[in-house]
Amino acid sequence: MLERPAELLVYESDGLPGYHRTPSLAVFPASADEALAVVRELAAHGVPFVPRGAGTGLSGGALADGAVLLGLQRLKRIIDIDPVRRVARVEPGVVNATLTKAATKHALHYAPDPSSQTACTLGGNLAENAGGPHCLKYGVTLNHVVAAKVALPDGTVVELDADDGGYDLLGAFVGSEGCFGVALELTVKLTPNPERVVTLLADFTSIDDAAQTVSAIIATGILPAALEMMDQATVGAVEASIYAAGYPTDAAAVLLVEVDGAAAGLDEDVQAVDGICRTHGARDVRIATEPAARAKLWQGRKKAFGAMGRIAPHLVVQDAVVPRTKLPSLLARIAEIGAVNNVRVCNVFHAGDGNLHPNIPYDASDRAESERVHAAMKQIMQACIDAGGTITGEHGVGLDKLAYMDALFTADTLDGMCRLRDVFDPARRANPGKVVPVRYCRERRPNRQMVDGGGQMVEGDGGAGAGLREAATVVDRGGRA
Amino acid sequence: MTQRPSSLAELTSVVSEAAACAGALRLVARGTWLTGGARVEATAELLQLDAFSGIVEYEPGDLTITVGAATTIAELDAVTAAHNQWCPLSPWGTDDGSVGATIATATPGPYAHALGLPRDLVLGLECVDGTGKVLRPGGKVVKNVAGFDLVRLMTGAWGSLAAITRVSLRLRARPAVDETWVVEVGAAHADAARHALRRSATPPMACEEFAGQLLVRIAGNAAYVQAARTALRAVGDAERADDARWAQIRAATRPFRARAPMAEAVRLLDAGVKHAFDPANILNPGIMG
Ligand SMILES: Cc1cc2nc3c(=O)[nH]c(=O)nc-3n(C[C@H](O)[C@H](O)[C@H](O)COP(=O)(O)OP(=O)(O)OC[C@H]3O[C@@H](n4cnc5c(N)ncnc54)[C@H](O)[C@@H]3O)c2cc1C
Repeated sequence: MLERPAELLVYESDGLPGYHRTPSLAVFPASADEALAVVRELAAHGVPFVPRGAGTGLSGGALADGAVLLGLQRLKRIIDIDPVRRVARVEPGVVNATLTKAATKHALHYAPDPSSQTACTLGGNLAENAGGPHCLKYGVTLNHVVAAKVALPDGTVVELDADDGGYDLLGAFVGSEGCFGVALELTVKLTPNPERVVTLLADFTSIDDAAQTVSAIIATGILPAALEMMDQATVGAVEASIYAAGYPTDAAAVLLVEVDGAAAGLDEDVQAVDGICRTHGARDVRIATEPAARAKLWQGRKKAFGAMGRIAPHLVVQDAVVPRTKLPSLLARIAEIGAVNNVRVCNVFHAGDGNLHPNIPYDASDRAESERVHAAMKQIMQACIDAGGTITGEHGVGLDKLAYMDALFTADTLDGMCRLRDVFDPARRANPGKVVPVRYCRERRPNRQMVDGGGQMVEGDGGAGAGLREAATVVDRGGRA
Repeated sequence: MTQRPSSLAELTSVVSEAAACAGALRLVARGTWLTGGARVEATAELLQLDAFSGIVEYEPGDLTITVGAATTIAELDAVTAAHNQWCPLSPWGTDDGSVGATIATATPGPYAHALGLPRDLVLGLECVDGTGKVLRPGGKVVKNVAGFDLVRLMTGAWGSLAAITRVSLRLRARPAVDETWVVEVGAAHADAARHALRRSATPPMACEEFAGQLLVRIAGNAAYVQAARTALRAVGDAERADDARWAQIRAATRPFRARAPMAEAVRLLDAGVKHAFDPANILNPGIMG
């Protein structure tokens, strides 16, 4: 247990720079039983809390302000791997890549592969419904979780199972961002390793050509394992960093395409993808079949956020999705927004899913620049919504996207979401104030609660009091602090 | 009596009025599989949803489609086939059934094992809950984590929380080669043979057992399908069959409803969900059992 301000400072932010919220107390149980005991203690005293995995989240979801932070990364036991049924039972603090490593001896892996997979936890993945490059073919976290043992905020333990014949409460829990309770144990599917994997890198002199290529590949019926795009700004950042992967820095955009599966028929798919890239204007297509060469091509992609982070002291990481056919026009619109606001947008994203990450490196101490970044981000998000898309494809709403929720959903839909939350957490103590803007839940059930540590009173109106209200104001000002 | 609203506004007023006087409604889209054998209050008034039908939006390049909930599976298949695409929903039952009911009952079909269950294929929906409110969770894009997941909640809720009026679905491009085969394996070995095929290097797109035979669909590029044929022959005598066999066996297969004994804590959550979305208990009362 940590309670000294200096120690708590470590947990004042997550993977998203810009937000700082200090928990009143941080508790790190060593076992599921201890975690449950903590949840029950918090329930007995009516104290709000925030579950936290590795804190790599990119929407401010794991920040606790005037609430107790419940750290789960010590619950890192892989309870059981069943290679016959191809499932694993794990504790929530198991790191994503650790499970894949443990499954390797059975020629299996855990398919959802967020770029943060060497750090993020499976509990955090479950709570965010995390995706990753290979989710194009294999699906996101939702498609890979078969059961979860959950401590509801009131301390009741429930086993949520996809097949129990009742409502899909497991489906509802996945992606609930820590607001529905604490996952104490997960049962997840393991996927057989493909017989063969081939990675292609195609470079284009126009972003538009690259974007058209994405749709053309998908339209053939070939489903690549991954289909990623990086623009010139991103390639430049990667190549200037220690993660240099040998990407062509003069290209307007590169596509990283991975084709995997049965050996039979794979070369034909690779040739087809190669051909489509070339007929759509690719200057060059590099094909890597050996693990080391493939890893090199991937390295720049996996470390792209890190590389961008070195361009400037701060980085806004964005996450939005548009229909695939809108990618060309949207990328053009993003470039225009960047130019008008005089900010540098680096696009690196899951192109096959239409899942954009328009990121902007900047210096937060420069007020004028910060304002411009903020303006650009707002315009980009609006453009994605106008194109029929959504405001987050994998990073979650957390605090950062609260301000966009009512541009996307009607008040009645947001109210419906609050009603679902209230079934799991009627007292609204689990990760209060996140995901759905407080005002849509406020009328539903006012109640007042005491917060530990400082004895400060907060209104349990869906937010954890002054701090979170302040956070909401910050978000209203534009998704950055 | 039967209510047959022709617009969303009419539907919300029908539901609101029913909620006000606690008059039970039994939701009907195409009426091919009303209750899955579950008991629904006999006194319920029929709420006919067939007006919510037709293609709302289809941009083939996006590989997604939005349809009215009462659109038949047959129409969904025909419209997408014209663009060499399809939705792998193809549930057990006939193609006269509706898309909305397939989602509401979460009814899988022969392609679910390889290509996903209804909950994996539905991207967003529009529905009217038991208080008469219109909810539009999810969206039409293939990745979306904005907000709490009312889409998964409504999928498989059997119309007991809301009447679904629109559904957005994920589509697939048709494979280059697609063949149906019958493999003689013998009833005693059918399970093992199916397991072996699914675990082979070239897993089939569908594989179902009927009286000692496996009906198998293999799909992919030419080289893949050739390897898949070899894998078929390794488990038994294999013979090409007509693709129409799939519609026949789907129509002949009664959809089933999986039910496990529910723990008290889960039952309480389910009751809480029902109360949150249909507090007057008017939508398909009793159907969840
Ligand atoms: C460089 C980088 C790259 C990234 N790439 C991707 C990517 O490709 N795809 C992607 O989807 N995300 C990506 N992310 C975001 C992040 O890694 C994911 O959201 C991840 O799932 C968070 O896991 P975590 O353990 O760090 O969770 P945290 O950040 O600790 O928590 C995230 C949320 O989950 C809740 N939570 C955590 N554990 C539990 C639990 N046991 N029970 C209930 N709720 C819980 C928290 O309350 C919080 O709301 C990236 C992040 C970084 C920094």
